[in-house]
Amino acid sequence: MAAAEPVADEAEDYSFLPIIHDIIKCMDKDSPDVLQELNKLKTRLQEAREQISGTPGIELSPALQESRLRALREQVRTKNQLLHKYKSLCMFDIPKPS
Amino acid sequence: MRRRGETVMAAAEKPTKEKLLSTLDDIEVLSRELIEMLALSRTQKLPQPGEDTDILELLVQRDKEFQELMQTAVEQGKVHQEMQALEKEVEKRDSDIQQLQKQLKEAEHILATAVYQAKEKLKSIEKARNGSISSEEIIKYAHRISASNAVCAPLNWVPGDPRRPYPTDLEMRSGILGNMSNMPTNGVNGHLPGDALAAGRLPDILTPQYPWQSADVSMGILPPHHGNDFGLEPPGHNKENEDDVEAMSTDSSSSSSDSD
Repeated sequence: MAAAEPVADEAEDYSFLPIIHDIIKCMDKDSPDVLQELNKLKTRLQEAREQISGTPGIELSPALQESRLRALREQVRTKNQLLHKYKSLCMFDIPKPS
Repeated sequence: MRRRGETVMAAAEKPTKEKLLSTLDDIEVLSRELIEMLALSRTQKLPQPGEDTDILELLVQRDKEFQELMQTAVEQGKVHQEMQALEKEVEKRDSDIQQLQKQLKEAEHILATAVYQAKEKLKSIEKARNGSISSEEIIKYAHRISASNAVCAPLNWVPGDPRRPYPTDLEMRSGILGNMSNMPTNGVNGHLPGDALAAGRLPDILTPQYPWQSADVSMGILPPHHGNDFGLEPPGHNKENEDDVEAMSTDSSSSSSDSD
C-alpha cells in the first residue's frame, strides 16, 4: 500500500483536472479568485513545458531508447570479452616446425 | 531481422518529448475552450447541447494521456542514467583497448627487429658455411707460412743475411711469372735457380749455393716458391717438405731449425 501511494501522488502531480475544477467552481460562485486560478493554470502549464524540456532521455521513443540500451550493453560485454581474451592470451606459443 | 524491424518501427515512433508537448498543447486548448464556453453560456444563458461535455471528455482523456506520458518520461530518465553509466564504461574499455593496441604494436616492433637480426645472422652463418675451409688445410697453410720464416726470423739470421720474410726480387724472377717473360738461357747466370731446380732440370752441381741454403737444403727445405699455387706441392720435394713441415710443427717455434 505504501508503494501504491507515491505512484498515485505522482499521477496527481501531473494532472491539470484539479486546477480546471477549481476554475469552474470559482466561475459558478462568481468568485473574484477566477483570475487567480486562471493564472495558476497558466503557470502550471508553463512549468510543465519547462520540466519536459529539461528532462533528459526523452528525446527518443521508449522503443528506440531500449534498443540503444541493448546495443550499449552488448558493446560493453563484447569489449570486456575481447580485453579479457587478449590480456590472458599467451603471446609466446612457438609453432611446431613442419 | 526482427531486431532490425523493431528498430525501424522504433525510429518511426514519435519521441516522448514531442508527444508530451503535443498533449500539453491540447490540454491548454481544451481547457481554454471549456472555460470560454462555460463563461459564454453563463453570460448569454444559452443552453449548450452537450458540446461542453464532449470537450470535458476530451480534456479528461488528454490529461490521462499526459500522466501516462510523464510516467514514461520518468522511467526513460532512469534508463538514460543507466545508458550514461554504460557509455562511461565503453569509454574506459576503449581506452584500455587503445593502450593494449599500443603495447602490442611496440611488442611487434621489437619482435620484428629481433627476427630481422636473427635472419641476418642466419644468412651470414650460411655464407660462412658455404665458404668453409677444412681445418687441416688451414693448419697446412699455417705450417707453410711459418716454414718460410714469414712470421719470425730464423735463429741463425744475422744482419746482412739476404733472407727476407717476403719473396725477394730474385725469388720472384725465379718463379713462373718471371719465367714467362725471360729466356731459358738466363738460367746459366743463376737468375732462375729456383724454377729450374723446382722443375728438376738443373743438376745439383749447377745449383747456386746461397749461404742459407746449406742448412736448409740439408733439411730438405726449399726457398719459398710464391709463384706456385698453394694447392700444388713443390715437385721433387713433396715428401721431404711435408716431413720437415710436420717436424717443425712439433717445435714450439715456427721458424726453421737452426743450422748451428
